[in-house]
Amino acid sequence: MQELLAGVVFLIAYVLIATDRYDKTILALLGGLVMILLGIIDQHEAFAAIDFNVIFLLAGMMILAGILRRTGFFQWIAILSTKIAAGEPFRLLIVLSFVAAVLSAFLDNVTTVVLIAPVTLYIAAALHVSPVPFLISEILASNIGGTATLIGDPPNILIGSASGLDFGAFLLNMGPPAILIFLAFLVTVRVFFGRQLEVHPEIRDAVLALDEREVLEEPRLLRISLIVIGLTIGAFLVHGAFGFEPATIALFGAAVLMLLARIEPSEVLEEIEWPTLFFFIGLFMLVEGIVHVGLVQAAADVLLDITGRQQGVTTISLLWLSGFASAIVDNIPYTATMIPVVRDMAAEGLAIEPLWWALALGACLGGNATIIGASANVVVANLATRAGHPIGFRDFLPYGIVVVVESLVIASVYMWLRYLA
Amino acid sequence: MTEPVRLARQTRVASCQDILAIGPLLVHRDDDLLDIVRRSARQPATRTIGVIDDDGRVVGIIRVLRLTESIVARVSPEAVMVGIKDAVEVGRFGHAVEDRIAGDIMEPPATISPEATVSEAFREMHKHQVTGLYVVDAAGRPTGYVDLLELAIRLADALDEERRSNSDRASNGGGAASGGGASDQAPTAPGSLGGDATAEGP
Repeated sequence: MQELLAGVVFLIAYVLIATDRYDKTILALLGGLVMILLGIIDQHEAFAAIDFNVIFLLAGMMILAGILRRTGFFQWIAILSTKIAAGEPFRLLIVLSFVAAVLSAFLDNVTTVVLIAPVTLYIAAALHVSPVPFLISEILASNIGGTATLIGDPPNILIGSASGLDFGAFLLNMGPPAILIFLAFLVTVRVFFGRQLEVHPEIRDAVLALDEREVLEEPRLLRISLIVIGLTIGAFLVHGAFGFEPATIALFGAAVLMLLARIEPSEVLEEIEWPTLFFFIGLFMLVEGIVHVGLVQAAADVLLDITGRQQGVTTISLLWLSGFASAIVDNIPYTATMIPVVRDMAAEGLAIEPLWWALALGACLGGNATIIGASANVVVANLATRAGHPIGFRDFLPYGIVVVVESLVIASVYMWLRYLA
Repeated sequence: MTEPVRLARQTRVASCQDILAIGPLLVHRDDDLLDIVRRSARQPATRTIGVIDDDGRVVGIIRVLRLTESIVARVSPEAVMVGIKDAVEVGRFGHAVEDRIAGDIMEPPATISPEATVSEAFREMHKHQVTGLYVVDAAGRPTGYVDLLELAIRLADALDEERRSNSDRASNGGGAASGGGASDQAPTAPGSLGGDATAEGP
């Protein structure tokens, strides 16, 4: 009976989150609390399931990005990169995608794409081309870049915390496929958009007139922010060796930057996306409900029966399942649900590390398939509509599907050669 | 509440709209933004421009700040880019770099009936975040323009009048009751302060 109740609560919450009719934070919280009210888990178990390493790592990174955002750094780097491209539109698309990918590997994807979008929109207007190819490429690149590191994308943060795999392990294992996939992506966007972006040489000069120094608001704050964020990322690289969790590093970096930035803490803390954090809190409780009654164990058994309990088949299946599932539902609740499934699969005798990488690659890359697949996609669609260049579900889908399929093929080959052959 | 203040609460917009020489500035949806800037510069006190349709009805407004933003964004986009924080602001910026005609930047009309009160006009200005409203007839055609400052001056006059009548009453002995009240309170406050000081002194 408890299994049935927990399954129904979980399913209702999941379906409602996927349909996007109600706020997902409220739904996840309500779902988790209903698990307590129905006696499936008690409050102590529910709260113990909340992974504060995830919550505080996210909060710390939000503070760091929030302060950096005030300095004009994102616009500065975007303008600087457009000068490298010397007004040639396709080269501009490549450098802006590269900037989106690299920044997204270390900072929040949404902040990255939103803050390089103004430069993108201006350049497209100045060159008399549509900004849509640029925006679509930046979304895709941002999600690919986020795949590369532990802090790049929320699924990686979840997996990193659950698995104990550190920042260096993520970089060494997720970095190479992310680079390969990004290179393939560059070829693909050439095919997609190469012809659309041919402009008369005379109007190319318009973008060269931009002065990157004019967008820098607070040079002192910029210097301090870059130093502290750089040191924080450096500390991430060695956190495992010193036995510190990533959340400690991120919160320490955030606290030091708040101290040096001399900004009112209340002002900085406003930058934290509290709805996202409460979404995670609700999800942890919700998933604990179905773990507690044994539903996750049962799901792992079913999946293993289908794959014949073979490491190779199971790993590659998990990669593709995660890719397709993340295209349809939010990759955060998907990953939160699959983490205990992966643990149970490992308990049945499979090597766990390849399974973690398969889950991480699938969940991060799958977000590229649709315009609602990841937060960055949704936010860019929103700003594009407001700017008078709407990107509809169908406009994005062909590009998204192609990039996800090629990404998953590359990831499969990489996984096979590195972990399974 | 004194009589002048009570009357001020019922003051109609129609009685304010001509206090200052700030008149309407009307443009059409297809008018070029550069032309509108030049016209606006000849009438600098009008900070909210009205957009009218072919029948002369107000169909939108343009704030001078937004107009300027569109011009600056085309020449020096960095100045407008600074401070952009979220998707809403990016969307607005994206529009600004492409805006060319009045229709591109106009916002929903902010209008008021001449029969509306000053406080209703103030609420409307606050809601639309504008410093002036188009006074329109029943068909939506503009009959005038009322500026925020005209509302303020109208009410300031009432407050001045109230102050004058109060001081007149006081000097005519009419203020005996309130004067008595003040003299009742006067010894209490210093007395209590003095008491505290004495208590702390020794």
